[in-house]
Amino acid sequence: MLEAFNFRVILEYMPLYGQCFLATLWMSGLALLGAILVGIVACGMRLGQVRSLSVLAGIFIESIRSTPLLVQLYFFYFGLPTLGIMFPEWVTGVIALTLNSGAYYAEIIRSGIQSIDSGQTEAGIASGMNYFQRMRYIILPQALGMTIRPMLGQAIVLVKDSSLLSLISILELTRAGQLLTSDRFMPAEGFLTTAVFYLILYYMLKWFSSWSEKRLIFREAH
Amino acid sequence: MISFKKVDKWFGDLHVLNDINIEVAQGEVVVVCGPSGSGKSTLIRCINRLEPIQKGEIVVDNMAVHDKKINMTKVRADIGFVFQSFNLYPHMTALENTTIAPRKVKNMSKKEAEKLGRKMLTRVGLEDRIDHYPTQLSGGQQQRVAIARGLCMNPKIMLFDEPTSALDPEMINEVLDVMRDLAKEGMTMMVVTHEMGFAREVASRVVFMDEGKIIEVAPPNDFFTNPQTERGKYFLASILTH
Repeated sequence: MLEAFNFRVILEYMPLYGQCFLATLWMSGLALLGAILVGIVACGMRLGQVRSLSVLAGIFIESIRSTPLLVQLYFFYFGLPTLGIMFPEWVTGVIALTLNSGAYYAEIIRSGIQSIDSGQTEAGIASGMNYFQRMRYIILPQALGMTIRPMLGQAIVLVKDSSLLSLISILELTRAGQLLTSDRFMPAEGFLTTAVFYLILYYMLKWFSSWSEKRLIFREAH
Repeated sequence: MISFKKVDKWFGDLHVLNDINIEVAQGEVVVVCGPSGSGKSTLIRCINRLEPIQKGEIVVDNMAVHDKKINMTKVRADIGFVFQSFNLYPHMTALENTTIAPRKVKNMSKKEAEKLGRKMLTRVGLEDRIDHYPTQLSGGQQQRVAIARGLCMNPKIMLFDEPTSALDPEMINEVLDVMRDLAKEGMTMMVVTHEMGFAREVASRVVFMDEGKIIEVAPPNDFFTNPQTERGKYFLASILTH
């Protein structure tokens, strides 16, 4: 079986894989940053005092979480242009990933915030801090620290979901596998190589999260 | 300094504060006691509107706390509040706990706030614990950081909600000592506590509450030696013989 496995073709396609690896890396990275930001804002709106914003955020979170990412991606890619809104493909892809993971991040952060003892909020109120100051200085630093692991889980999902971008002809890791397969008809070589690169991304994320966990969360525990 | 006029508050059907009238003058130390569920914690939590009231008036330092339109930030910045469960910020050191509100609420510079924070932590006897995190401190030390945190806002009033109830017995005194010093320096204080020794020693008046009502208000010696009501007698008998 191994004799049939063509390592040479993998080496031959390595420049393409390298380029696609970087594409997946920076698009996922951008979407990850955007998603955390969207998550914080959506969660802030959801838990805030203004009812209309809270309802709006609720609708956003629910509708994203209840529909498949592929459907959302196709809506942005095929649907928006018919409504007169045009983006380059990669922008469409990053926006779809950002909004999709953003909704999940909103829920992760909300669970983190709600796990913080109400005494923390009361201490902030009693010292005269307003809602934003309490969030910024007291609640979020603790909530984000506690949610590093679920956030890492969602980041891994985001990186893996970025493979769907191959379906709107964005050049990224999965697309590289598809190209090798269609050029040379070698799907085993093509997609196994793709998978190995995803594994590398996974370990990079894991390393980054344990590094930031050590820096961020309750420093006194270490 | 603090004035309650005909204050009523309900939690659902429960009438937690029932026609409360009391005046606290500047420099007074008022100890509030009573059986659990009598509304004593709620009483002092209403002063900085941690709890809203439904009827009546609360005026603190000439500001109407019961008025929904009033900006509470200014009022709260002038009132220190010490909780039973400390509520220190676990992700900040003792010093950061004391400096965050002066910096963010009063816009003090970091340097100035840290100088103040060190001074207040020294005042409560924690000059060697400045860079410790709350989990590295004992209960008594945590509560003293909480008091220093309140003092850093240069408050006109300090409120204490059962400040020693969550402490091991051997740590109660280190907290009470700090409170005694504050009282001697003329701080206006309202203290919910079961520490009757403390009440006897430093209180100007004792307020005895039961079922949401103020039953008795008297100087500590009068209240402890000669309570005027049956419920007061019963309460004293039950806590002094435990």
